[in-house]
Formats: sequence, structure tokens, C-alpha cells
Amino acid sequence: MSAPGPQTWSRDFPGTIEAAAEAEAWLMTQSGALGLAEDTEFALNLCLEELFINAVQHGRANLATISIWAEADGVRLEFVDDGGPFNPGDAPAKRISRPGEDFEIGGFGAGLLQKFSRRMSYRRSDGRNRLLLEFGATLSPTQVPRRR
Amino acid sequence: MGSLNDDTPNGARMNINVTEADGGVTHVVLDGRFDIAGAQEADPRFTALAQDSTSLVVDLARVSFIASLGVRTLMVSAKTLIRRGADMAVCGASENVEKVLRSTGFDEIVPLYPDFTSAAAWLTSRRAEFASKKP
Repeated sequence: MSAPGPQTWSRDFPGTIEAAAEAEAWLMTQSGALGLAEDTEFALNLCLEELFINAVQHGRANLATISIWAEADGVRLEFVDDGGPFNPGDAPAKRISRPGEDFEIGGFGAGLLQKFSRRMSYRRSDGRNRLLLEFGATLSPTQVPRRR
Repeated sequence: MGSLNDDTPNGARMNINVTEADGGVTHVVLDGRFDIAGAQEADPRFTALAQDSTSLVVDLARVSFIASLGVRTLMVSAKTLIRRGADMAVCGASENVEKVLRSTGFDEIVPLYPDFTSAAAWLTSRRAEFASKKP
């Protein structure tokens, strides 16, 4: 997993559903500062919401740390939480495939993460889930950081 | 019927406007973000609509964002409507919103249309077909 670059924004949030909305607002501010394309902003927000819901509702996390930074080939979002072990990259990408009234509702988050991010890297260390998501992003020339 | 919430001070809240169109079609226009807060606001209204409507068009043209909780709200309503023998269609979804709906398979149970007119036409024809088959 690559280490966050010098232009990293990071913040801790409590593990509550209410904090998810606060985290999304914070992320929108950061992605706005990075000058990201609308599609990338949408994907970032979607993935953050899915991760937050997973961590709080299923993982019973008390704390989530979110970091975002730009690299030459796109944007990285790191989501670290102290909930139960969970790698969304290993979870099945559930979707409804059978018309009718008996369809099962729920479990779509992992599939959305896989669909809207370019790549996911997961590791578990120090009792925390550490998920790094990569997004291909259109950055304005002034926003693209130099390769180190 | 009117707005559930006319107050959208910072664009973070969901505005829901419900009108009765021709042919018994209920037109629900959502305006805002269908995120966690948006889904929480929409849930009770959709629960009532799913119990009362015969033909429901959910207009997402003004919805800038949706995640799985928003999709869940729509799916729960669709399930209730289908069980009651009623119909639902969605129209006006942006490219990203449509991508979310298709990724979850929502389009397998509820058809997606580009605009209200085409969605309402499909629902009206469904009701006519249903009525013609009644003994």
C-alpha cells in the first residue's frame, strides 16, 4: 500500500451514522479543492458512504480515519476503521438478477465499491481495517502533483 | 399533495414533490442528494406512496447523488408495489445515478426511462393491459 503523499488531507470521525454525513461534507470540500471532475467526486462520495455504513452498521466501528490525496495518475482515498475485520474486495458483488417480488434487498455496497473505484487494496493491522481506494481522476494541470 | 420538505438551505436535504397526473399516475419528483440523510427523509413518504399508489413514477432528474441506502428506499417501495399488483417506473436519472441503479440490478425490477412522458405512457399501457385481462 502506498504511503500518503505530501498533499494529504486527513480527519478522524466517530463511528456514527450522523458522522457519515459530516464526513461526506468534509470530503466534498477536499475534492473541490483538488479540482476533481464531477464523475470522480460522485465516485468518492459513493464509496465513502458505503464504507462508513459498512464500518458502523456491520463492523461496529467506533472511529474512522479518512485521508485523501492526489497523485499523478489520480486520487487516493484511504479509509481506516477499528471495526471487525472486513475486506470489501473479497465480498460478493450482489445485484438483483431475477425479476419478481421475491428479490432480496441489501448487500449492494461491496459491488458499488468495486464498480466505482479503479482499484482496492486492503490490509488489517493494529486491529484496524485499512482500505486504499484508487480513482482515475481528471485534475486541472495546476493540481497535478509532481512525481517524487 | 405537496412538498414533504420545501426547505433546501444548503442543498443537503431532499425535497419531495408529489402530484397526481393524468391516467392515475402518481408523479414523485425528488430534488437533492439521495444520501443517508436523503434516504432517511424519503423513507416515510415512500412507505405511504407504496401503499396508496397504483402507478408510480419516481423522477430522479434533480437527484445529484445516490448510494445504496437511497437504492434501498426505492427497492422497498418497488417490492410493496409489485406485491400489491401496482407498478413503478423511474425516469430522468443522470449517468452516474443510472450507473448505481444498474449496478445493483434495480433496473431488473423497475424500468428506467429518460423522461416522465415515456415512463407515464408505459404505466398507462400496463394498467390498460391489466384491465383488459380482468374477467
